[in-house]
Amino acid sequence: MRIIDFHTHLQDRWFLRPLPSETQFLDGMDRCGVEVSCIYTIMGFYGNCERENNQLANYARAHPKRIIPFATVDPKLGKPAVEELERCLSNPVFRGVKFHNWLQAFAPSMARETMIEILRCCARHDAPVVFHDGTPPYATTFQIAAMTRWVPEAKIVLGHGGLADYVYPAGQLLRDMPNLYICFCGPKAGDLPYLVEMAGADKVLFGSDFGFSDWKMLAGRLDDVIESGLDNASIEKILHGNAEQLLHLKERPL
Amino acid sequence: MKIEPPIIDAHALLGAEYHLKLDPVELLRRMDAHMVETAIARPMGAELAVFNTEGNNRVLKAHPRIRGMAAANPWFGGKAIEELKRCRDLGAVGLFLHPSRQGFMPTDDLVRPLLDFAVEAGWPVMFHTGSYVQSDILALGEVARKYPGLNFIAGFGGFTDMWFELPGLFAEAPNLYLDASVMWSDAIEQIVRERGESRVLFGSAEPRNCYAAGLKMFERLDVNDQQMRAILSANAKRIFRLP
Repeated sequence: MRIIDFHTHLQDRWFLRPLPSETQFLDGMDRCGVEVSCIYTIMGFYGNCERENNQLANYARAHPKRIIPFATVDPKLGKPAVEELERCLSNPVFRGVKFHNWLQAFAPSMARETMIEILRCCARHDAPVVFHDGTPPYATTFQIAAMTRWVPEAKIVLGHGGLADYVYPAGQLLRDMPNLYICFCGPKAGDLPYLVEMAGADKVLFGSDFGFSDWKMLAGRLDDVIESGLDNASIEKILHGNAEQLLHLKERPL
Repeated sequence: MKIEPPIIDAHALLGAEYHLKLDPVELLRRMDAHMVETAIARPMGAELAVFNTEGNNRVLKAHPRIRGMAAANPWFGGKAIEELKRCRDLGAVGLFLHPSRQGFMPTDDLVRPLLDFAVEAGWPVMFHTGSYVQSDILALGEVARKYPGLNFIAGFGGFTDMWFELPGLFAEAPNLYLDASVMWSDAIEQIVRERGESRVLFGSAEPRNCYAAGLKMFERLDVNDQQMRAILSANAKRIFRLP
């Protein structure tokens, strides 16, 4: 079965801690049968977004059939953040955007005007926007969901589907908000049938956080889906079908 | 590394909570399917927060292969202690506390009588850890420092976004153990590497996680046979004082 991992990080380090290299990252994908990974930065959440976005684009150019970069910007900067986002999304190699409000130290409401501009820009480019969720005080699942109402035409993805303690409300929000999606990355096998029951299998995407840790994390997160007891049709949508749609892979193949 | 019996599941949940449901018959079926000899279960949902007697009866009367951690809401005061005494007589092997569900801080004075009872009963105490505020894993660390003679288990291991506190906390609190039921491989491997395999317990978190996924994750751990045996059974046997 084709597998698209909607949530990974490709970065050489997190502060001083070494992370899987580019080669190890691709080896991990191969080992676990992942065809395509959406890659996000880590150190770019702390600054130098432009440099880090360029690095992500370089990875994609080196592995155009395997890697899809998601850009990030710092909304605290205001207009320059929107300009950097426009620069990235005008480059067809980027197909999405990632924010990590917790690490980037902003709650959406602190940068509301800029976030609205950012989400409108993403909507114009029809690029999904992934937000880390499940972590107070800047990235609760409710904070992301509240922002989703500001720009209904934007496609917003809860990067962790409620993570640990917000899974139940994440399911309710997913059901109630048409432009909200969930990346199943963190919740466990027993949570997945509930999320699908609440909103259907069309709004759930597979993600692993691979790159932040080694290939075993990717393998484990795949098991969370495969061992969930869901029917094959739902699993197919989660592991690749929904990502293909959000990333326009049929209209714009890699 | 191949997973081999005996396997003791140090953390399963019985009852109902939100979308999660599990009864003893189904837990036993799953245990059999995955060669799990014994499961240590605790109540969940309303039976964890309010109706403790019902929840404790559910886990303590489930089956001889299912042992129970007793739950008592500290806000019930003396009645909580009476309930724990009853559970001890029914064969409970530990105390389970969930600061978020039960509405207290681990460091609150109202918890002390329950911890004192656990000392008297020879029980380990598993605290749910994970979400910020009440279930802050560092709050459990403070309690562990105040009760050096009592064994504490970090239920769910601070899952997820306080995971980075684990290495430092485990270095400072020798009476703290990790319930690895929802953790990922290298977080577990780091504790084994830095603090030894004696600090890690296999748990399933059934029905939130499942044996099939959990055991595969453990199978991938970079540990040797002896370390795996400790994690899968010997540590639980020792900490919960199982026969």
